[in-house]
Amino acid sequence: MSLFLASLGFGLVTAAVLAIAAVGFTMQFAVTDVLNLAFGAVMIASAFVAYALNQAGVNVWLGLLAAAAAGSVGSVLLNQGIYTPFQRRGSAPITMVIVSLGMTLIIEFGLQAIVGGTSVSYTMSQGPTVRAGGLVLTAVQFVIIGLAAVVMAGVHGLLRYTKLGKAMRATSANRSLARNCGIRTDRIVTVTWAITGALCGIAGTVFAINNGSFGATSADLFLVVILAAVFLGGPGQAYGAMLGAVVIGLATEISAAYITPSYKDVIAFAVLLVMMVVRPGGLLGAAVT
Amino acid sequence: MTSAQLYYLLNLLIYAGIDIIACLGLSQQFGVAGVTNFGFIIFQAAGAYTAAILSLSGDSANGGFQSYIGGWNLPFPVPWIGAAVVGGLIALPFTFVVGRRLRGDFAAVGLLVTAVMVNLLVTNYKPFLNGSAGLSLVPAPLQGTYDPAGAGYQWAYAAAALVLAAGAFWLVRRVTESPYGRSLRAMRDNDMVADSLGKNLVTQRAAVLVLGGALAGLSGGILVGYITTWSPGAWGYAETIVLFAAVIIGGGGSHRGAVLGAILVPVGFEEATRYIPPFGPPGFVDDLQWVAIGLLVVVFLWFRPQGLLPERRRTIGATAPSFEMPNEDVVSLAAPLRAARGAPAAASAAAPGAGGAAGPIAASAPATARPQPPGDGVVLRGVDLVRDFGGVQAVAGVSIEVRHGTLTGLIGPNGAGKSTLLAMLAGTLPVTSGQVIYQGADVTGGPAYRRARLGLVRTFQLASEFKRLTVMENLLSAVPGNRGDSLAGALRGRRYWRPDEDAAVARARALLERFGLSRYADTYGGDLSGGQRRLTEIMRALMTEPGMLLLDEPMAGVHPRLARQIGAQLLDLCAGGMTILMVEHELAIMDEFCDPVIMMAEGAVLATGTMTDLRARADVVEAYLVG
Repeated sequence: MSLFLASLGFGLVTAAVLAIAAVGFTMQFAVTDVLNLAFGAVMIASAFVAYALNQAGVNVWLGLLAAAAAGSVGSVLLNQGIYTPFQRRGSAPITMVIVSLGMTLIIEFGLQAIVGGTSVSYTMSQGPTVRAGGLVLTAVQFVIIGLAAVVMAGVHGLLRYTKLGKAMRATSANRSLARNCGIRTDRIVTVTWAITGALCGIAGTVFAINNGSFGATSADLFLVVILAAVFLGGPGQAYGAMLGAVVIGLATEISAAYITPSYKDVIAFAVLLVMMVVRPGGLLGAAVT
Repeated sequence: MTSAQLYYLLNLLIYAGIDIIACLGLSQQFGVAGVTNFGFIIFQAAGAYTAAILSLSGDSANGGFQSYIGGWNLPFPVPWIGAAVVGGLIALPFTFVVGRRLRGDFAAVGLLVTAVMVNLLVTNYKPFLNGSAGLSLVPAPLQGTYDPAGAGYQWAYAAAALVLAAGAFWLVRRVTESPYGRSLRAMRDNDMVADSLGKNLVTQRAAVLVLGGALAGLSGGILVGYITTWSPGAWGYAETIVLFAAVIIGGGGSHRGAVLGAILVPVGFEEATRYIPPFGPPGFVDDLQWVAIGLLVVVFLWFRPQGLLPERRRTIGATAPSFEMPNEDVVSLAAPLRAARGAPAAASAAAPGAGGAAGPIAASAPATARPQPPGDGVVLRGVDLVRDFGGVQAVAGVSIEVRHGTLTGLIGPNGAGKSTLLAMLAGTLPVTSGQVIYQGADVTGGPAYRRARLGLVRTFQLASEFKRLTVMENLLSAVPGNRGDSLAGALRGRRYWRPDEDAAVARARALLERFGLSRYADTYGGDLSGGQRRLTEIMRALMTEPGMLLLDEPMAGVHPRLARQIGAQLLDLCAGGMTILMVEHELAIMDEFCDPVIMMAEGAVLATGTMTDLRARADVVEAYLVG
């Protein structure tokens, strides 16, 4: 039982990290129509911004804010400089994916050329061990779960109760119709990149914190897990991504405890492929015929 | 030349052969068939591992420190053949990912993820293929008989690699330059439309996956025989991007482009950077190399997406037209037709221009076996058709009849249910209730492609030409039953399918001449004007030898003069025994060409008759004509 509770705790932390990333990824895709495979690369690049500040003596939680800002600015630049020009030209979605894969190489290995190939860690305290309802986690892990809860609540509030969120949903559903209704879709798209980029930066930093150590290419495998959560919930579905993150987060960590940690990501992979073949619209999406 | 230089040169030749084979395989998938296989490297890896375990001995000659399955110690060339076979076979299950109508970019992501995961599995599970350490001391081909380090052996190896590369070139050419290759390219340009023309997307995608997988596997087999070692580090997902960079830079869909790309990127670029003196921290140069690969992909997609050697335009020499209908002549052609309004049978007689065009066609085109309509002359009958969309009845009990040889119009305000009705008649949308009877037979339950084979063919509201196929190829792609339109048929060579192809080309030429588009035969579909696209689409539908056409707004967005030209041609077809049901918004067109006209509003038929009749009815005028 204690093994189960321990893995459940880890699963919740993984789900928290995953939820922030998956919601960011899926909203990005929904509104901008770019399946941005460079998401993982931007995550890690942002985590390194926090690392640079951390090395200079700044508290990592302040670094997290800087990483959010960096992810936001970086994503907006990535969109304005690369994706939007390609989309304006009418590039096919598949071309956009290839471009994003090219950008992944540029960002990831450009970063690695700067920071080197060795893994690094933040200088931070894990805080006291906290017991709550049978779960035993460090204070930092609880903070990550709380942070994710705050972010999810924020996304919910944004989408449900603000004009901006409404405009984002309208742009996502039908961009040209939204434009005809007087929504400035170009600006909505830019704002979406800024918001999801901030989520990306936060996700990168909490991923790095949770992982302990990280390097320039650490997010390659995590991107697979993000994609699994996104496709489980249905691409473009923010609430679906939250659900997917919880399912995948728990499934990977519990299977890691009971089977073997080496293959924990394989669960995510299997879920992803099954969803793609059986129900590409996701659990919360419409069945695609 | 020193011997070190010679060995290095041979090394480059061997790599060139290997990379050319791999790039040809990828180009076949990505460039020709539009299957973006981000997992391509898996198939090369599978071939390399297969060749390794086929040639290694069972007890591991290396003191047993390697663990792997197999170890059959088989002689050359079995490992290479096995590599190609396994590379092709393991491609089959991937059909489940790309074969369905999954968005192309989703499928690509699925394959990328698969590549990452397969690598992870092989790395972590040691008993299978020795885990992360990989296999080493793989026997080189015939190493018991010859000395693999000798110059002669190296020459022979390079020659073998290059000969196999030439063979791969011949193979992909044979497939691509056939009617089957044309079907693959049609699928690449627009898979939905290719599907509606009767192309089986699943088998076509499976075929290119297997063909490309076999080539990738072969390249892996040759590679492992040369470097004698293979481990997960050699086939990270990023290696696929190197091959993609090669194909994009060389030119997707172009075989010579694939060869050039293979020489430039994996061989040239990766070798060239080897001579950059190491500077910066360890791994710095390697990192920059990956950055450069990423930059090459993005920069080429921006500045030269067609690549250095773009896909060749397949010109099927348009003959000198005996009749040409440039746009300027349209009015003079349409003028006499206007006089013949409402009398299709008289139309061609009253229009000398059109009559002159139709004349030679009747003689040169093979007579289409058009089934005679049943006694009452009704070709298509819809009985009490209903279509429910979640409680909303888009079509609420419509009964219509379309008589043989008429150009029947279907009008109505937006949301009247015209397109829904058309889709139910064509079978692209199932009916909620009601019956569709074509040529006296109930076809209500049959899918679209089966109705198309019976001769009931539709076009789409949105332009659906294959953009990177010429007009001639667009037409040829619709011909059913070409012997070369299968992988087996394509592999049997031109001599096998030439007669079918020639007959199809003759029919296409006749149609092009009839529609006055002969001089555009070799123009890409994507370079046509809106009106020409519409004409191309109608001609393509005609190439399927239909008995009846269902046209969804064929004149939408077309210049009025060209619209009249299209109308005149449609009337002419009807005079020759064709039956057409046409949805159209433009009342002037209906006035001029259609008789009878069916008027729909709010999911029901409001009235049927000539436009003059309809204008006389108050309810019709209120529902549509003035509003």
